[in-house]
Amino acid sequence: MSPWAALRGVVVFVYVFMLGPILITAAVSFNESNRSQFPPRGFSLQWWGRALSPEWIDPLVFSLKLGLAAAVISTLLAMPLAFALARHRFRGRDAMVALTLGPLMLPALVTGVGLLQLFQYAGLREYIGFTALLVGHVVICLPFAVRTVAISLHTLPPNLELAAASLGASRWRTLWHVVFPLIKSGIVAGAVFAFVHSFTDVNLSLFLVRPGEVPITVKILGFLEFGFAPTLAAVSVITLLLPLVLVAVVERLTGLGDFIYGERERV
Amino acid sequence: MSRTPWLLVAAPMALLLVFFVVPNALLLSTSFLKSEAQTLTGELTLENYGFLFSKPIYQWAFARTFIVGASVGLLCVLLGYPLAYFLVRTKSRWKGVLIALSLAPLLASVVVRTYGWYIILNRFGVANDLLLNMGLIHERIAFMPSTGAIIIGLAHALLPYTVLTIMGSLNGINPNLEQAAMSLGASRTRTFFHVVLPLSLPGIAGGFILAFSIAISAYATPAILGGPATQVMATAIYGFMTQLLDWSIGAALAVVLIVSSVLLLYAASRIGAKQAAI
Repeated sequence: MSPWAALRGVVVFVYVFMLGPILITAAVSFNESNRSQFPPRGFSLQWWGRALSPEWIDPLVFSLKLGLAAAVISTLLAMPLAFALARHRFRGRDAMVALTLGPLMLPALVTGVGLLQLFQYAGLREYIGFTALLVGHVVICLPFAVRTVAISLHTLPPNLELAAASLGASRWRTLWHVVFPLIKSGIVAGAVFAFVHSFTDVNLSLFLVRPGEVPITVKILGFLEFGFAPTLAAVSVITLLLPLVLVAVVERLTGLGDFIYGERERV
Repeated sequence: MSRTPWLLVAAPMALLLVFFVVPNALLLSTSFLKSEAQTLTGELTLENYGFLFSKPIYQWAFARTFIVGASVGLLCVLLGYPLAYFLVRTKSRWKGVLIALSLAPLLASVVVRTYGWYIILNRFGVANDLLLNMGLIHERIAFMPSTGAIIIGLAHALLPYTVLTIMGSLNGINPNLEQAAMSLGASRTRTFFHVVLPLSLPGIAGGFILAFSIAISAYATPAILGGPATQVMATAIYGFMTQLLDWSIGAALAVVLIVSSVLLLYAASRIGAKQAAI
């Protein structure tokens, strides 16, 4: 057996390891019995019916709203910050870069605990729930958005801006008519990464929920204490498909791949 | 050096100061305060740390956290390196699809992906059913809750990060070096072990430490695949903050976790592993 053939064998094994559990989850959601039989016996949509009941749809919609709000706010905050960090050299810039990447470096779990304490001690207890979650999610999504926007700014030749300026365009006009349209796909990609990060988070959300204001990930986690339920498998598949569809659509429209590899370019 | 563009940075910096720096500073200070009957007193103390480091149950939680982290890092590198190498070198026209497929799991929450392992590993799960049907075992085996199950679940969750990191470093290797080695008579295998592997060591170290540092602060996987007997730092923090309501000790644990992560990332930067930059 040639080394390359052996490598292919290993690669097949790794793909089975990576995708197997996800495919098994999908398979058992169609099971007839309420046990996790695999290969599935019979075919039933009853668990999917239950997964689409308000008990599960409500946290799902809650997560979508939270993710959307977190993505929009963090991207809006990220644009000027990325522009400042990518285009200006000023005192304190290094500290600001470190602070921006901070939420990426420190465990989100710890930030969640810290935010819980902050809201309690500051007498903002009634904001624990959607507001506290939103604040926390914006914080942990910000590095992703800033990085992605910064990457697209770096790939933009500064000459374009100089050309616009030399033709008499004001700073804001240059920004609006030259820079913004050219980094639009970077901004969209940043927002998508932020949304996915928020939608899949559990470590931070864990500490900031209140009854009725629970993201789907935390809801599933809480439900798992009661053991296996095929409904949960169906819910899992739904929460898995939503970001997948979103990313596939955006990838078609603007292309995200560049930004995943963009991380390689040290900017 | 120019003036600080306050107009651009003020809002995001204010947000990070109030909702990132302050909460972490708060934790740090809480960890040095004595708490009585679930309320903090103003008294400074090292008791919280003393408590954690003297009780065997927490000593074990620390040890288990790091054993899990190191094992997850190792497993991620062992599984991720062959895949990364294959994805970088393959001439297949499915290359793009294969890369997308290896990163797609990142779009699913860790909770959802760990749930797949729960379905496989629980007492009445897929693994037990299959082994019983094949006649390999006669009684159901408890694969979980266990530290091993946590390690497998986390390695599964973090593998894409390691693959991405290693692919980055393999992509950066000048192909001419390999050609030079082969034109001088080295076989493909020899070239790999003497040229490619050494040059990709920073990627391996980076992927290992990235998986390690995320694994030690993961909550969901140890909560799902572990139990009371397999506490790790993250689950212990959750217990102190939400059930035992001893915030001082919870904060001290959180500080230990922060320090561990920072030390790991510092080690990574010393080894020369690529770090996030703007």
